[in-house]
Amino acid sequence: MATTATVARGYRGGSYRSRSAGSRLVLYGLLVAVAVWLIGPFVWLFITSISYQRNLMARPLSFIPPEVTLDNYKMIFGLVRFHAEGQAAKIIPSMLNSLVVASVVTALNLVIGTTAGYAYARYRFPLKTLSLFALLFTRMLPTVVLIPAFFLMLRALGLQNTLTGLVVAYCSFTLPFTVWIMKAYFETIPAELDKSALVDGCNRLQAYLRVVLPVSGPGLVAGGAFTFMLCWNEFIVAQVLNTKPGTTTLPPVIAGMNGQINIDYSVIAASGFLGALPAVLLVLFFQKYLVEGLTAGSVKG
Amino acid sequence: MTADPTRSTLPQPLPGQAVAPRLHLPSIRLSERWFAILLVLPAILGIFLVVLFPLLYSLWLSFTDVNLLRTTGPAIELFGVRVPLFRWIGIQNYVRILDDPLYWSSLWRTLYFVGAFVLEATVMGMGMALVLHERFNGRPLMRSLLLIPWSLSRVVVGLLWVGILDFEFGALNGLLAKLGLIHGYIAFFKDGFSALNVLVSVYMWNQAPFAALLFLAGMQSVPEDLYSAAEVDGADYWQRFRHVTLPALRPIVFLVLVLATVNGFLMLDLIYVLTMGGPGHDTTTVSWLGFQTTFTFFKFGPGTAILYTLTALCLLLTFVYQRLLLARFEPEA
Repeated sequence: MATTATVARGYRGGSYRSRSAGSRLVLYGLLVAVAVWLIGPFVWLFITSISYQRNLMARPLSFIPPEVTLDNYKMIFGLVRFHAEGQAAKIIPSMLNSLVVASVVTALNLVIGTTAGYAYARYRFPLKTLSLFALLFTRMLPTVVLIPAFFLMLRALGLQNTLTGLVVAYCSFTLPFTVWIMKAYFETIPAELDKSALVDGCNRLQAYLRVVLPVSGPGLVAGGAFTFMLCWNEFIVAQVLNTKPGTTTLPPVIAGMNGQINIDYSVIAASGFLGALPAVLLVLFFQKYLVEGLTAGSVKG
Repeated sequence: MTADPTRSTLPQPLPGQAVAPRLHLPSIRLSERWFAILLVLPAILGIFLVVLFPLLYSLWLSFTDVNLLRTTGPAIELFGVRVPLFRWIGIQNYVRILDDPLYWSSLWRTLYFVGAFVLEATVMGMGMALVLHERFNGRPLMRSLLLIPWSLSRVVVGLLWVGILDFEFGALNGLLAKLGLIHGYIAFFKDGFSALNVLVSVYMWNQAPFAALLFLAGMQSVPEDLYSAAEVDGADYWQRFRHVTLPALRPIVFLVLVLATVNGFLMLDLIYVLTMGGPGHDTTTVSWLGFQTTFTFFKFGPGTAILYTLTALCLLLTFVYQRLLLARFEPEA
């Protein structure tokens, strides 16, 4: 009896109401565990960022901060003076550098990568299969193997310690990915759309620009948000290529503060939280498109 | 454009109509081809300049005696820029690194790291996916939580786990002491093997949510009547998982395994933030050894040689991945 009822309702991994109290308890227990595992550490980062170091060191540790303060953030914004203010003062300018690099790389990727993705999805041309395999390979390529070459090339070009150099280097790991994601996305748009545009008198370029692109918002958002996130979070390339003070992005600056004995962990936590926020919010805001785009891009190839 | 919409509506002599497409067909093909090439060209040129050229240049460097201070010597001119070529020394760099016991110990450590990481990420990813696939209130919210660890910079990931695992102010020691489970604090990073395992787990925390997303996407495409049929046949939860979910997810499991393997081999940033390869060399993987040799000791020749052994491995895994994509997905998609 009970079985037929569940079947009739459409079964997916156990339906909610027909569950016994015991299995519901197990499920909610597991859900709490997963939720704590996923966001507990990040929440703790936030709590430490609004705490005083003395309360973090206090034992027994209290997980609800006895004193709440914005001092750590004020130090970063230069509103409160402290002994390591020179280092804290680097946070905001390096965030701007990150913003510039990530935005430019994202824009470049969306223009160049999307166009190529469209061609891969719709047309046949010489060396298509070979270049697709090359794309797949560059997607799996260790970026770190390119850094020695970038180091010497950018030095020869005089682009060491510039944001332009970083933009160039970042395209090496974002561009193949964007082409790949956009190819997968355009494959989900029926080719009849372009064909009918061609029949209606558009030329091929117009069919792409005026008919296909305007309905490709979700794909562009997925590709753009992912590229931005990758660049915003990138650490090793920026750490190696841009060593001069003031030329680097946020992750190397935070990593430089981390492990220094003279800076309180709570201040580093505040910089980390502040630096993580843009990427996290971007991803959460566009999560629907991002998850669809990425899973389609990885699964369908 | 050749397909003039007015043409079909206008009455035309029959022979003309039959001839027109035949005349236009070759030119359509050609222009289609050139149009596609024009669309792909910027990306291909870009990838050539920022991926292929540096890749080949790095390969060249791995066969030379790189001296960063010397500015004279052989070089190639590219668009008026002088890129130094250094002195060719054949496979000496490779011989040198393969002679180094540290390379081999790093390789074994890397294999342990990758094995442990792949196992942890796949099992945890599958576990989380199974829990989140159930029906419950607030499922969309729970699924968005998956994106948080994954969207953090590895620098922040490392940093926030320092806050939890630190000997002095770490929350975990604080919690365990509060619950009375430990008397002295645990130094997670003091012992080499424990530090390596901490790295595995922290990286897993960052990466398993993405595996879970892929698994969830796969689970959603399993037809529901398969479950109903299994349930009618009296299959319990684990039997349904083993005989319905798992076979349907097989391609995605393979995909996750390949991606996790590549990511495991290449992981670098967490080592930088958390252990710097230490204590001693106990968390030195091949990628860290290559990175350190190149950019800490500025031995570009041996460093790029080490990194190239990793690249070869990735090429191999790409073949596996491509086989997977083409053989397993195309017919079903």
